[in-house]
Amino acid sequence: MAATRAGPRAREIFTSLEYGPVPESHACALAGRGDPEAPAAAVDPGIPGDWAGCSRGVIGLILPPTFSFLEMMWRICPALAVGCTVVALVPPASPAPLLLAQLAGELGPFPGILNVLSGPASLVPILASQPGIRKVAFCGAPEEGRALRRSLAGECAELGLALGTESLLLLTDTADVDSAVEGVVDAAWSDRGPGGLRLLIQESVWDEAMRRLQERMGRLRSGRGLDGAVDMGARGAAACDLVQRFVREAQSQGAQVFQAGDVPSERPFYPPTLVSNLPPASPCAQVEVPWPVVVASPFRTAKEALLVANGTPRGGSASVWSERLGQALELGYGLQVGTVWINAHGLRDPSVPTGGCKESGCSWHGGPDGLYEYLRPSGTPARLSCLSKNLNYDTFGLAVPSTLPAGPEIGPSPAPPYGLFVGGRFQAPGARSSRPIRDSSGNLHGYVAEGGAKDIRGAVEAAHQAFPGWAGQSPGARAALLWALAAALERRKSTLASRLERQGAELKAAEAEVELSARRLRAWGARVQAQGHTLQVAGLRGPVLRLREPLGVLAVVCPDEWPLLAFVSLLAPALAYGNTVVMVPSAACPLLALEVCQDMATVFPAGLANVVTGDRDHLTRCLALHQDVQAMWYFGSAQGSQFVEWASAGNLKPVWASRGCPRAWDQEAEGAGPELGLRVARTKALWLPMGD
Amino acid sequence: MSAHNRGTELDLSWISKIQVNHPAVLRRAEQIQARRTVKKEWQAAWLLKAVTFIDLTTLSGDDTSSNIQRLCYKAKYPIREDLLKALNMHDKGITTAAVCVYPARVCDAVKALKAAGCNIPVASVAAGFPAGQTHLKTRLEEIRLAVEDGATEIDVVINRSLVLTGQWEALYDEIRQFRKACGEAHLKTILATGELGTLTNVYKASMIAMMAGSDFIKTSTGKETVNATFPVAIVMLRAIRDFFWKTGNKEELGDEWLKPELFRIGASTLLSDIERQIYHHVTGRYAAYHDLPMS
Repeated sequence: MAATRAGPRAREIFTSLEYGPVPESHACALAGRGDPEAPAAAVDPGIPGDWAGCSRGVIGLILPPTFSFLEMMWRICPALAVGCTVVALVPPASPAPLLLAQLAGELGPFPGILNVLSGPASLVPILASQPGIRKVAFCGAPEEGRALRRSLAGECAELGLALGTESLLLLTDTADVDSAVEGVVDAAWSDRGPGGLRLLIQESVWDEAMRRLQERMGRLRSGRGLDGAVDMGARGAAACDLVQRFVREAQSQGAQVFQAGDVPSERPFYPPTLVSNLPPASPCAQVEVPWPVVVASPFRTAKEALLVANGTPRGGSASVWSERLGQALELGYGLQVGTVWINAHGLRDPSVPTGGCKESGCSWHGGPDGLYEYLRPSGTPARLSCLSKNLNYDTFGLAVPSTLPAGPEIGPSPAPPYGLFVGGRFQAPGARSSRPIRDSSGNLHGYVAEGGAKDIRGAVEAAHQAFPGWAGQSPGARAALLWALAAALERRKSTLASRLERQGAELKAAEAEVELSARRLRAWGARVQAQGHTLQVAGLRGPVLRLREPLGVLAVVCPDEWPLLAFVSLLAPALAYGNTVVMVPSAACPLLALEVCQDMATVFPAGLANVVTGDRDHLTRCLALHQDVQAMWYFGSAQGSQFVEWASAGNLKPVWASRGCPRAWDQEAEGAGPELGLRVARTKALWLPMGD
Repeated sequence: MSAHNRGTELDLSWISKIQVNHPAVLRRAEQIQARRTVKKEWQAAWLLKAVTFIDLTTLSGDDTSSNIQRLCYKAKYPIREDLLKALNMHDKGITTAAVCVYPARVCDAVKALKAAGCNIPVASVAAGFPAGQTHLKTRLEEIRLAVEDGATEIDVVINRSLVLTGQWEALYDEIRQFRKACGEAHLKTILATGELGTLTNVYKASMIAMMAGSDFIKTSTGKETVNATFPVAIVMLRAIRDFFWKTGNKEELGDEWLKPELFRIGASTLLSDIERQIYHHVTGRYAAYHDLPMS
């Protein structure tokens, strides 16, 4: 449709449409899912039947300078299909989205469902902070994504980021090397791939692979327009500048650069480039690999390959080339990326979720996860509350306000102070001080430790140490431990209920709270038994698995109300899905959480759940700024929510903040609903083309 | 005629670690077919070039000297004279590359070609064509007899059972013996890829055939359920390229390979299809059955 005024990526429209079904069929197929009346049986088991509440509202879509038409369709169609309307900001050089908006405008009864603005990057913050926008979907470079995350902290709009264009190709010695070389061409030197490629080659096949790669590069052709005889086009002057700088820097660091191919010598065209011997410490090795560069490095064993591959902040997509099933699956499961192809590269389909993790952002398109981006779970408010503009990020939670002693103690002396529950046992805090906790009638209830930055650091370390073992357990084993904890809670019902009574609850309500907590533990243990499921993709022989993997270390700041129930409701799903947690319990009464810790000390392996008490704002600050926490949930004040969102830009961790709105933890929909199950794990699509 | 492939000593390490991924090769085949399509006068030019690669073949039970004679004339004049004149190619000596017949008909073919005044080689199928399930002694004798009768190219079929049971040394030995029995004639080894099972086997069999001294490797006999397909051709071309790399030859499989001495298409009805296309290109109309001379 836009072929006549071909933009620089017009060829990609045709080549991509060869590889993907037309997005309209996608929209029609998925429109049924957005309908709340659709029977649960029609929805496949990966999607909770009661999720589909309502569409979010107005979506602001921001696209990078070199975006693909098909990618844009894959983001717009699901949004429209579930009932959102879209405002898209596109760079001025591409007319295709404007034509699309014109077509959309011709739908008589619904003008304005798709609006396109053509403008420079400086309009991005203006669009994002418009009051009517409910969600901003940003695709582009990581640095801009970070800046947007910081500026949108506390605003009304939610933010979804899809960052970076680099992918990874892992070539083992049991691969079909010629086909893997074709995979490299698909990834970096055709118009099907978005950016550059990191290539990891097993040392024993290094020479062969490099030879075939260089010979194949020599036969690539580059050219302009829609000429069917060329393999790749150009991507604009900015991309050309970027790659020239990268290659010059790489050469100055001592890397070997090989370029070949039949390429016109004018400006926006750049020949396919292969860089090897790049020292890992050089600045080039830290940034994203630009188009059309392939950076090749060797590895010795599959385990080393995983370490090297996971050792970058990028988490977009990767392919594994190996003919040994066991090795291919081990690598596929072990890579920390959003999409893994086995013996293929760059396959895409609208029904398969595509997204990333780590610093590739955590927003998805395609498949059920892509739909959740545009849906709001029932029960959450339609508008997020807008927060204060003048929060000082530098001083929030920095210093702990010192508490003066409360005066002479009267009455029997309380029990000795609780320590911090870190690494499976209670230990004294670094600051060696504690704070008093008062019950509902103002009397002293107990002392809890005053945790600080060092304690948070220790807790996160302990959680990381426990993570591989816990994530490696089968879902059944995890469920068994959660059930054991539930049984322990029930045995101690009277103690827990009496503590809750001292905080002002009625005895009946307290006992009900304890019972509900135990029930929740059991329920989450049972719910996690069904892990991944298989998607059917049109045109592919072979399954695509949609796996749900644990995030890693999850930091949770519990709400003040429901000191036992909220604590357990947040702990249970996180642990059930294989995460390890660092929790800051309710500030008003952390004693309930610490009672549960006494049971966890005997039931759970060390480091699984770590509980740190202290000044909530200070601990929040430490956790939010920690680069090695993979996700954070915050249920405290509105100001704290804003800080957490702002600070998450550091390592782009996914954040769930309550913005000060209370949550009814005793209701099933809010306390144990599908939203928790969605946020507690991340998706990975594993493509397994079959045939021999 | 071009020089013979001398072959090399058997080196199983060339094939021991090879893997071919079927879905990936299929994808590559689709890509190639979808791009770089040729139209108009370039298509006509490529079609004429394709004619010069054809081994015009008749392998039926009811072959007699009359249809062999007709075949040989068609081989000398594959495209109608006036169509060639319209393309200004009538004086370029466009003939098919060879004529391919059963061993018993070699004499007839040689006689017919001599009468037509044409020096196209006569290729004979041999070695138990098409199934290859006869004793080695008779297979070698067939080759010798065909060469005596005047065939200058021999198309042998390999013993598929050796490939399927992984007996690579035995396969190498057999083809070496075929090579010796051919003497000065060119050896074309038909791999019968439709019966080899996997693309990995196709690659390995190609490599063994080249190591043993085949001058050509061919995909199929035409009698299997699945004959020549794009993915199989890709795998065989990769094997040929690797063989040349390993034997130190610097040639890549580029345009210089497109000569009748180096590349052949075994076909019978392909020629009439090509002729139809050329008829359409020249006249703009679709030909009737009787417009084009029979082969």
